[in-house]
Amino acid sequence: MDPTFEKKICTLFQSRKLAVILITLIILLSIIGTHIPQKSQLKPDVYNTWKNNHPGEAQIYETLGLTDLFSSFIFLDTVLLLFINTLFCTKNMLGNALQRLKGRFQKKEYISRLENSTVIQTSKEQNDVISLLISELRTLGYKTSQEKNCIYAEKNGFGTLGTPIFHLCILFFMLSALYGSMGRMEGDMRLIEGQTLSEDHGNYMYINEGPIFNENHQKFNITLEKFYPDYYDESNTQRGAAGKLSIQRDGKFAATDIVYSNHLMTYGGYTFLGNVYGMAPLLILRNQDGSVNSGSYITASDTDDSRRYVAMFDIGETGLEGGLMVYMTANLTSGNIAEADVEQTPVLFLKIFDRGTEIFDGKLGLNDAVQLNDKYLVFSDIKYWSNFYVVKDDGTLLVYAGFGLITLSLMIMFFIIPKRLWVEIVSDEKTGATEIYIGGRADRFRSLFEEEYCSLIDHIKERL
Amino acid sequence: MGQIDHILYLAATTLYGLSSIIYIYCFVFRKEDRISYAQYGVLAGLVFHSVSIALRWIETGHGPYVNMYEVLSKYAWFCAVIFLLAQQKYPKIKSAGFAVLSVTFLMMGFGMTYSRDVVPESTSLHSYWLIAHVVFANLAFGSILVAVGIAALYILKERRSVKKGNTDDPFYDRLPALNVMDDLMYRFVASGLLFLTIMIAAGAIWANQTWGRYWGWDPTETWSLVTWFMYGICLHLRMNAGWSGRRIAWFIIFSIIILAFSLFGIGYVYSGLHTDYLTT
Repeated sequence: MDPTFEKKICTLFQSRKLAVILITLIILLSIIGTHIPQKSQLKPDVYNTWKNNHPGEAQIYETLGLTDLFSSFIFLDTVLLLFINTLFCTKNMLGNALQRLKGRFQKKEYISRLENSTVIQTSKEQNDVISLLISELRTLGYKTSQEKNCIYAEKNGFGTLGTPIFHLCILFFMLSALYGSMGRMEGDMRLIEGQTLSEDHGNYMYINEGPIFNENHQKFNITLEKFYPDYYDESNTQRGAAGKLSIQRDGKFAATDIVYSNHLMTYGGYTFLGNVYGMAPLLILRNQDGSVNSGSYITASDTDDSRRYVAMFDIGETGLEGGLMVYMTANLTSGNIAEADVEQTPVLFLKIFDRGTEIFDGKLGLNDAVQLNDKYLVFSDIKYWSNFYVVKDDGTLLVYAGFGLITLSLMIMFFIIPKRLWVEIVSDEKTGATEIYIGGRADRFRSLFEEEYCSLIDHIKERL
Repeated sequence: MGQIDHILYLAATTLYGLSSIIYIYCFVFRKEDRISYAQYGVLAGLVFHSVSIALRWIETGHGPYVNMYEVLSKYAWFCAVIFLLAQQKYPKIKSAGFAVLSVTFLMMGFGMTYSRDVVPESTSLHSYWLIAHVVFANLAFGSILVAVGIAALYILKERRSVKKGNTDDPFYDRLPALNVMDDLMYRFVASGLLFLTIMIAAGAIWANQTWGRYWGWDPTETWSLVTWFMYGICLHLRMNAGWSGRRIAWFIIFSIIILAFSLFGIGYVYSGLHTDYLTT
């Protein structure tokens, strides 16, 4: 590669202006992303409603990739450029910081140019002055080193590394987030009380797998042992809906826990969170002789927070279609009596359609039946079902570590402030006097260091 | 109890209001010796305010973070506490109270426009990470508000020295030197950035517990990142691009609008996971 071109590239990526430009671009793109509906954040039906209501806008945004902005080429490339820029800057900063850590002795010409510099004259011998200064600076917490008539003193020297460490932590964080999102798997698994499903791709209602997840499903069994629509924990605190899950691996019990809001279950790198739930009436289609023709639990959902659950379904292979609404009696919404304390019975409203024509509209209780031509449809059982949000993200702990490291490095960067003092002691052979050239500087908050410097000089003068 | 905590809230609001008037009066008429009245006013207001928050906490059974009345009250409390602590450490910045206390008073007043009804805490709010999240959000806002107060003083002092040279004015002389105020702004913004980082981290851990992901580009999350980047740029410019003094002071003053929007305004513009309780 042409060395001039290589140098230009290095200069470009080391530029701190570039960092500001890229961060500003990320800010602008992020703000745009909050204004334009994002596919990743909205339920498909909500997104489609918006799309149908704003067809022109939607087409433009989709063409530009703005409806999936945070995974778009433009956003990811900007982040990539920021990563490269940070990498180059960090390399540069680290080199400079390591140089500064070594510390250098300085002569009076350099010391006099410092913002905080003083010349003190004394009649004491040069060696006495040196030992006195070293002893005083050490008392004040400075680490000192001496070379002939020069002293170099430093406090909080480690803080010099604050800025490069912070940038390294940012790089670590970005890589962790990237690793996490590439290997992430998330999905919704719907389980009816008592049902067991294997952790396998096909058993998820919705699944999203990162490119390096590689279908690495563990295939252990998950059972919803019990569902609690209104759970109270051991301390009698109301926790909302909860589900008791158990995991079996190779036919053996492996783990169990009750999952509710802010109380998730983890197993083998998988996290299980409670999600939506509903009721599942079991409708069995029986022949005239009582034998079972077909039947299944119909998962009905609460679409309007009314605790009434609705579903549409096909009835076996009869060609008939049904719609149902089911709820439990004694539906308590307030008061001191918990729903669990009251006996509840299900009520099922059912409509049956034959090629669009309504042939039944009525109410069924548990074990009631309705005749459909030569068969009977029986409301045989009812259970709760719940969707569990299952996540596998191996990058999470790394991201948490990244957060911790960024916080720590910010503390080092801004609150462990390196302070340096340079001293040269010069003896005037003619007069016999000794001149002390002393100067100091803090890496940050320099004006606040002035006060400390002045009191230090006063103290030294007093001791001399 | 509901009435008592509200009466105390009103008393605190009145005291903060009076204090901000005294701060403004002292600032406009150069009566620095009267500032101590304002300080006592803030202290007394803080006592009433603390008791009001404690009583409401007992009444509702949860911390002050469920509806806007509680949220604004808590932010105002943190701003008053941080300002009192800041002026304890740097007594010369006490005149910044004209900006800090005015905002504190406005937050209290704005809080009164919201419903005081006790809202049950939703189960998703049952997390220790929530406490860390909200405390650090408050600390960040308080620190940056103090930086804004100092930035305002900086601009006024600098403007005066440019217009009238270094003619003696005891009021301005008693303010910290310009370079000291510049460093103080820098220090308070740096503290604010640190608190914002911890706020975002705690929020991410809480989100992972509740929703199974630490980041989802929800508008509130995105705006918190925007704010973090903005203060990152501010410090970057200060440290590396030679931006200091007036330019940084204006930057800090304007950027608090973004911070305030990301903390209080999101719910009015966007719908999302955070927005239900941030508008009621």
